Amino acid sequence: MKLAFSLDGKATRVLPNQMHTVHERHRLLRVSLQCLGVSLALFVSSAGFAQDTPDYYRQNCMNCHTIGGGRLTGPDLKNVGQRRDAEWLIGFMQNPKAVIESGDAYAVKLAEESRGVVMPVAPGMTRYRAEQILKLLETESALEKSQFEGIKISSQPFTDQDRLNGHQYFVGTFSLKNGGAACISCHGMHDISALGGGRLGPDLTRIYERLKGRKSLSAWLMAPATETMQPIFKGHPLEAEEIHALTAYFESGAEHGEVEPSVSRIAFLLTGLAIAAAVIFGFDVIWKGRFHSVRRALVEASSQRRKS
Amino acid sequence: MQIRSQISMVFHLDKCIGCHTCSVACKNVWTDRKGAEYMWWNNVETKPGTGFPTKWEDQEKYKGGFERNDDGSLSIKSTSRKKIIPNIFHNPHMPSMDDYYEPWTYDYQNLFTAKEGSDQPTAEPISMIDGEKIDVQSGPNWDDDLGGSEIYAANDPNLEGLTEQQRLQLSSVERLVFFYLPRICNHCLNPCCVASCPSGALYKRGEDGIVLIDQQKCRAWRSCVAACPYKKTYFNWFTGKSEKCILCFPRLETGQAPACFHSCVGRIRYLGVLLYDADRLEEVAKLPDDQLVEGQRSLIMNPHDPAVIAQAKKDGLPDGVIEAAQNSPVYKFVMEWKIALPPHIEYRTLPMLFYVPPMSPVQASKPADTIHHNSNNLFHDIDDSRVPMKFLANLFGGGQEGVVRYALAKQKAVRWHRRAETVGDIDRETADRMLREANCTREEADAIYKLTALCTYEERFVIPPMNREQAIEMMKEPHEHRAETGFGFVGGQTKGI
Repeated sequence: MKLAFSLDGKATRVLPNQMHTVHERHRLLRVSLQCLGVSLALFVSSAGFAQDTPDYYRQNCMNCHTIGGGRLTGPDLKNVGQRRDAEWLIGFMQNPKAVIESGDAYAVKLAEESRGVVMPVAPGMTRYRAEQILKLLETESALEKSQFEGIKISSQPFTDQDRLNGHQYFVGTFSLKNGGAACISCHGMHDISALGGGRLGPDLTRIYERLKGRKSLSAWLMAPATETMQPIFKGHPLEAEEIHALTAYFESGAEHGEVEPSVSRIAFLLTGLAIAAAVIFGFDVIWKGRFHSVRRALVEASSQRRKS
Repeated sequence: MQIRSQISMVFHLDKCIGCHTCSVACKNVWTDRKGAEYMWWNNVETKPGTGFPTKWEDQEKYKGGFERNDDGSLSIKSTSRKKIIPNIFHNPHMPSMDDYYEPWTYDYQNLFTAKEGSDQPTAEPISMIDGEKIDVQSGPNWDDDLGGSEIYAANDPNLEGLTEQQRLQLSSVERLVFFYLPRICNHCLNPCCVASCPSGALYKRGEDGIVLIDQQKCRAWRSCVAACPYKKTYFNWFTGKSEKCILCFPRLETGQAPACFHSCVGRIRYLGVLLYDADRLEEVAKLPDDQLVEGQRSLIMNPHDPAVIAQAKKDGLPDGVIEAAQNSPVYKFVMEWKIALPPHIEYRTLPMLFYVPPMSPVQASKPADTIHHNSNNLFHDIDDSRVPMKFLANLFGGGQEGVVRYALAKQKAVRWHRRAETVGDIDRETADRMLREANCTREEADAIYKLTALCTYEERFVIPPMNREQAIEMMKEPHEHRAETGFGFVGGQTKGI
């Protein structure tokens, strides 16, 4: 449809016999815009409903849980429906932290088994969604070999070269292929100096132990699931060789003790104070000729004269 | 030759009584606002004294104005292209609040709300910056009438070059002297504030040469505050914009004299148009110190000269402005009689406010019980004045005593002449000799006398037609503009940068 009115309100200047057509076209436009709006809204919402549960599972659950592939950070979910009833599972999925804190014995045991890593609430988790996931788990458990049995993780032994590469990926000398942020932006590590590592995320020196070894650490790295990391790495997943190198690096880190945080913080503070003092002194020298109070100097000089 | 018009001023210091009415008028009209409490677009200083802000004439400290380089070029003392980046977070030559003063008011409410007690309640001074009680340490005219002169008057930068004896005389009993120096923005021909502004917020109005700060463009760099050698731009700490004297342009545009001019009790202020040659500005601003006063005079063109009138018309000056220039009292004082001089022209901003240097009492001494005057004449020799010639030369002559002596000699001759005319106890011959020595005629002396003593409002203020309608026409319908315009800030001042 071709529109014949201008945006600055000049449509009012058309001759009376043209008036009708202008109004007509106006109405048509409005109706068609409304239709477009409604269909867009329908499309968006149906797309939301249509996102299938396997995809959701892949994005949010897979990096900690397998179905029949053994334990990662979280337990194997094969036949989970036989271990606990559906109502408990749905409640746990919607708010794991609350269930653990309520002192539920089974939940506490789970938390201990995963070494204190509390399951995050997956984004968009609703009762309906939880029910869907339970259904999926049931069907997948029934299969001999689930599509979620586990992820292919390299089992090659780590070499020194791998560890070195991992360090390079960590500090960002090698950029991550899919554009993810280097680990150092948010994390520290035992061999990163006090001024080097970011402080948003935890120190990763002992992450290899914390996440219970190679398999679950690699699984985690495939799709980091915490609220902070997920949005960052969702669109920028790590490549297989990057995960291999980083895991090697993290494994080597496990052999070192964690850096004493108090020592590095004091060093950080003292270095900062020393630099600040040096900068202030430097400024004082550079701006030696700056304006100093005139009136006060006159008054002081005069009162000194009177004393002497 | 390119002719432009400049609204210029003359302050006749011999008439100033130091009443501060001008300052109060200005304060009430323009700077009675939050953030502007400490500003005095118009202030009156006592000389010798250090003025406001304290010792503003000491450019070694304040770094105002231009300096002439060895190759004859000019550069701004306080800033430059190279200095602006390293000093981007801190302007190193800003006067502090202590050098102006911390504005204060009094806690008048306490007079009404104090609890009953055995003593009278008092209104204690409270700061207008933070509302806390303060111990007042200084004010805008703290050294008025030689108050605290050991601290202030003794440190007047204009005392430079005076002998120790002359300095002592200035403050000794029976020789003590002071005069007043009212100051507003000089609306310079070569304004340093305009030159220094990194935002281009300052401008000199083309039609009348008034220097203004665009409150929309100002970005709080405060370069103008540091650069103005007269310290007549002020930073408003509340709006985050710099402000300065606007020569009451809304009043001028409606044919009224600026508030400080209008309210002047001693009628010391004169306002009129000068025509000047804009092509030679740079050349004059670069002259050596001792040629600056003459150089500035050479810029000012004779509005009666047909060649100048023709060029002025060619350069688009309206007939009304040329006519105002011909009647300008400022032209008479500065160019015809040469008795008005620019303040501190060595700052090279070419100020367009001129001062008639004041006559002062004769020196006296008191060897025994009787006071002995150094001169027995009715009007003493100008070199016997209590204010040393060198002092006035530092202030008004760019260090040159010649121009100051000329101005004082002519004023003295006018007195002899009028004495001979009206009282008759001085013979005509002596008076005529005095006039001849001062390069003055009887007619000129009468004219000076008339414009000094018997001047009317219309003679003191020859305000040219401002032709705002022509300026506005370029941008919008004048009638439409008239409906929208008014005093004050359109839509209110906005805070911040």
